[in-house]
Amino acid sequence: MVSDDILRTHLQELRRGTVVVASLVALRRPDYGYALLQRLTDHGFPVDANTLYPLLRRLEEQGLLTSEWNTEESRPRKFYRTSDEGESVLRLLLADFSAVQRSLTGLIEGVAR
Amino acid sequence: MSSLTDRYLAATLRAVPAPRRAEIADELRASIADMIDGRTDAGQDRETAEREVLTELGNPERLAARYADHRLQLIGPAYYLAWRRLLRLLLATVPIAIGALVAVLDAVDGGSVGSAIGVGVTTGIEVVVQVAFWVTLTFAVVERLSLPLHLPRWTVDQLPEDRPAGRGVPLADTAVSIAALVLLIAFLPWQHFRSWVRDDGGDHIPVLDPALWRFWLPALIALLVAEIVLQVARHRAGRWTWPLVGAKVTLDLAFAVPVAWLVLTDRLLNPEFVQRVDWLRDGANLDVVYTIALVAVVASLVRNTVAIAAQARRRTA
Repeated sequence: MVSDDILRTHLQELRRGTVVVASLVALRRPDYGYALLQRLTDHGFPVDANTLYPLLRRLEEQGLLTSEWNTEESRPRKFYRTSDEGESVLRLLLADFSAVQRSLTGLIEGVAR
Repeated sequence: MSSLTDRYLAATLRAVPAPRRAEIADELRASIADMIDGRTDAGQDRETAEREVLTELGNPERLAARYADHRLQLIGPAYYLAWRRLLRLLLATVPIAIGALVAVLDAVDGGSVGSAIGVGVTTGIEVVVQVAFWVTLTFAVVERLSLPLHLPRWTVDQLPEDRPAGRGVPLADTAVSIAALVLLIAFLPWQHFRSWVRDDGGDHIPVLDPALWRFWLPALIALLVAEIVLQVARHRAGRWTWPLVGAKVTLDLAFAVPVAWLVLTDRLLNPEFVQRVDWLRDGANLDVVYTIALVAVVASLVRNTVAIAAQARRRTA
């Protein structure tokens, strides 16, 4: 039986990168850090706060997200949304993701036969 | 806002580049407050919630590094192998070379054996520290600045020579050779300080002429050290390659010729030692010793050269 540590490392490797895709998808609807964290977790993308917050800033610097401060509520919050550039990158990422999925399915069926 | 969160923010922001500090501060403060609210809404008391949220966010320096996209490593995988290779190469050669050089210079300058060896060893150790420090610092700076090093790409030509079992140099072989060399090096200071012959006052009489420490003995020690390096190189190569044979013959000659010359000019043994040993005092016996020494030096030189050349030819054939 493989140890928990090894399993955890492989799962982490597999999940790495999906957070970016999930964030770009989720932020088609503008949201702030903590709310995004909740939404991602609810949809099966558990992510650490100390990973997500710096990631949002980095994606913003890369031009994939835009941001806007919302000061209407009692607590001012920074809302992010996926930019046009982010949208086109997201499309490429999703296309690649389904390509991986198809390849994997093909491989599984090929081996099973 | 309680002081714990303030302290956490301050600790994080300290390590974040100044121009982005204010905005990160505002956003992080709001996010922490949101996270705390999330927990108090679930029924947790405020103080515990704050502690848990900050613990979840983890070490502020790590968080700051993520914000600043800093690498939390001195030398990353991109440069690690180049760093290790260069460091090994330099540490294997430079300290010994400089240490030996300084020792020889000290001896030539009239320093005693003890001072020459002491100065050589101290300098060698200093050079080890300096080399390790500067090489590592350079690579760490390159890593921080993400400088492209344009390292040569790896090619198949860099693969080490094939070394099937039984063809390499057995470790024991190399170890014996090196041990013999170390013993020979150790013998030189030993015969000076701890010779088995004593004078009337009970002091040790050096076997070899102490005047030789001015130059010849340090030079011979340097040659023996070079011979050790050669043995290591041979072990790594797995056989006597022709360049190694060339180096070996050169070193052997550089050792044998001065020794033979010292023997011929009657300068090898300490005159005081010769006087002290009854048997040697007879001139004819001394000549016998010198002749045997000379023949031994020449014979070992010829034998080594022939044997090594034969080995090298067999391996390359």
